[in-house]
Amino acid sequence: MEAASARYAARDQFAYPAQAAATPLLRYINNACSPENFEPNLALCLEIADLINAKKGNAPREAAVAIVGYINHRNPNVSMLALALLDMCVKNCGYPFHLQISTKEFLNELVRRFPERPPMRTTRVQNRVLELIEEWRRTICETSKYKEDLGFIRDMHRLLTYKGYQFPTVKREDAAVLNPSDNLKSPEEMEAEERAYQSAKLQELIRRGTPHDLQEANKLMKVMAGYDTRHKTDYRAKAAEEVGQVQQKAKLLEEMMQGHRQGDQVNEEGVFEELASALASAHPKIQKMCEEESDDTEAVAKLFEINDSIHRTLERYKLIKKGDVEGANAIPRGTLGVSGAGVRQGPNNELSLIDFGGAEDAAAAEPVQSTRPEASKSAGNALEDDLLGLNMGDGNYGQGGGISLGTADIMAQFSQPTTAPNSIFSHPTRTTGSAGPFGLAASSASEQSSKPQTPIPSASLHQRQQAQQTKASDPFAAFNTPPRQASPAVFQQSVKSATPPLSSNRPPTAGNMDLLGMDSDSGTNGASTAPADDEWTFSSALPDQPHNIIVTNSDIHVIFTVTRTSDNEITIQSRISNNLSEPITDLIFQLAVTKAQTLHLLPQSSRNLAPNQNDGIAQTIRLENVARGQGTNVKLRWRVSYMLDKLKKEQGEINDLGVS
Amino acid sequence: MGGSISKMMAKIFGSKEMRLLMLGLDAAGKTTILYKLKLDTDVTTIPTVGFNVETVTYKNTKFNVWDVGGQDKIRPLWRHYYSGTQGLIFVIDSNDRDRIEEARTELGRIIGDREMKDALLLVFANKQDIPGAMKPNEVSDALDLNNTARNHIWKVEPSCATSGEGIFEGLHWLSNNVKLPPK
Repeated sequence: MEAASARYAARDQFAYPAQAAATPLLRYINNACSPENFEPNLALCLEIADLINAKKGNAPREAAVAIVGYINHRNPNVSMLALALLDMCVKNCGYPFHLQISTKEFLNELVRRFPERPPMRTTRVQNRVLELIEEWRRTICETSKYKEDLGFIRDMHRLLTYKGYQFPTVKREDAAVLNPSDNLKSPEEMEAEERAYQSAKLQELIRRGTPHDLQEANKLMKVMAGYDTRHKTDYRAKAAEEVGQVQQKAKLLEEMMQGHRQGDQVNEEGVFEELASALASAHPKIQKMCEEESDDTEAVAKLFEINDSIHRTLERYKLIKKGDVEGANAIPRGTLGVSGAGVRQGPNNELSLIDFGGAEDAAAAEPVQSTRPEASKSAGNALEDDLLGLNMGDGNYGQGGGISLGTADIMAQFSQPTTAPNSIFSHPTRTTGSAGPFGLAASSASEQSSKPQTPIPSASLHQRQQAQQTKASDPFAAFNTPPRQASPAVFQQSVKSATPPLSSNRPPTAGNMDLLGMDSDSGTNGASTAPADDEWTFSSALPDQPHNIIVTNSDIHVIFTVTRTSDNEITIQSRISNNLSEPITDLIFQLAVTKAQTLHLLPQSSRNLAPNQNDGIAQTIRLENVARGQGTNVKLRWRVSYMLDKLKKEQGEINDLGVS
Repeated sequence: MGGSISKMMAKIFGSKEMRLLMLGLDAAGKTTILYKLKLDTDVTTIPTVGFNVETVTYKNTKFNVWDVGGQDKIRPLWRHYYSGTQGLIFVIDSNDRDRIEEARTELGRIIGDREMKDALLLVFANKQDIPGAMKPNEVSDALDLNNTARNHIWKVEPSCATSGEGIFEGLHWLSNNVKLPPK
């Protein structure tokens, strides 16, 4: 008898936490879930969320336990109130609360009143619970930076699905608030966020107290106390990276606006709007960063420049939206490169992507670019054509482009998505699934708003091409180029993030560059120092001795030995080794150069590599029309495809052959 | 089922479990005390970066003792250990008169936290073997316990971690004064 009543009491412990609430937090929760409310008391709910955020420590857990108790209340009205409060806390209390709702105990308690088999009709409480779980799984379990800690939510979802429960569909937009915001964060904010994460995690590990958790806790303490600096994140580096992302958005918007003509409707309202609002929200942040970085004048100068150009882009956008294309064109299109050099001479307002102004302008702008002296000889259209064959302004894609591929079929792929004549960004809303390197680039850029942390590892050719254009003409190139091109690789070095390295040919450089200053050393070889030093023409005379370039070192290791054989010709010996203990078959190595040069590829010695075979494939490549002294300016683009367990592809670029 | 039996046994034989948190400035002797309790040997320790936790059973009471490092970099992390703590052991280096003021500030900060409001406070006036060390009443005066710990049940226990003197007396006091948490 007594046992039965004790069991009863134990069961009702969650259903009736009626004993006088011990803390203000519990008292608030009690009030918020009281059946006297006819509808959720939003003000009180928000106050509770604030209280949890302010108290930290054990508060998220305390709140989660109390709320789930009310969710299992017998009165469905109380349950609904508690669920509304839970939703509010999940959306406002961030990681510490997410960690609590993803504990096994909490989730088990949440579905305690679910029958083993799904009922014919779920009650509205059950329905709401299912909806919340679905929502969490679709948002925080996928997008949170720390999603590996939230695995039990997914498990619970799977379990319920297995039992036969149907989840209501959740509108992505409604739940989007749970996704991490992509607003620009200053280094301090990022650090604070990381601290909050670590604190919550430590608290939870200590509470769980299993030996494994305690070990983790000890490690985490060392990190938090600053004794273990191996995993220390360089927040300035991250901030610089994020500024780079904002720049890309600005650039994208600028490009889209240039493809926009008088009388056109702003038909991609969503994308335009999204980009513009992202920029608008970044604007004050950059200003704040300027203040915080006040001890580093160079960084501040760069940030100001970026700030100004973003501002101009926004102004232009506003005018274009009003339909005032003329007015918009009157504002200098200074943003970050797309049309930098041409734009400095305001009056020239042609809406082509590569706006070099007149020939004089181009000539004036070009000589400073030691990167591309062959371009400086030509002018106007020829110059544009020469920019790696990217005739973006007009529609003749893939005809006479500057890239002469050693193997043919690639051009076809390049031209695939460029159906619209104006710009490649005519379809920026394309989803990631769409084929072709351009489609991918456009969509990944426009999707950054939802996935700001992804450094776009695909680094498709398009991006590179674009980066190159920028390099050629951009006053902000010094800042601008590294984030586009080198940044993923470089920052991975410095930040040690887990994202797979870009298949870039640039050998990773040491991470400790001057971050916001973005010294041009971030590139590797002589060629990439050019953009930072717009105003100087650098020349060099390297010895004729062979120079080794590691093209890629992934599953396969490709090394080039570059030698100057005559005044007009460079010979490259390519050797490919297998880094894996599995055989590689059907290997095709492709190479492209700019139009000024001619490429002769002799046949590959083989197409297969035995496991771990060293230098299994050799190939001789002759590069003609490279005058002595131009070796450092040659641009090569390579692709390699091979069968491992499945077809793999890599590609990249070489900016400097390392011989004169 | 198994749980209910052991609970019943616990009721009959009066065994209880207690979560203790041992804090104090660096080099006060926390880790040495912990391992004296656990192993009954005098171990040579290095500064604790992180924490140690050991379970010690003494007179029907199972003590979970958490010993958290005391260096100033770690002190901000102490608060993560507060929740669920029934007894705070604050260890003082009785010979370190220069830093007793610092110890007082830290102690005030700890017991002022809401999560620690029900915790018992045991102060070990450690290193009593050193001649000229502060006596327990000097320590309680220096810490101003009558004022700072007026909302807590507290006691200052003279101790010497290396010899083990006073340590079990302290535990005894804790187990006698602990209120069983409502289970």
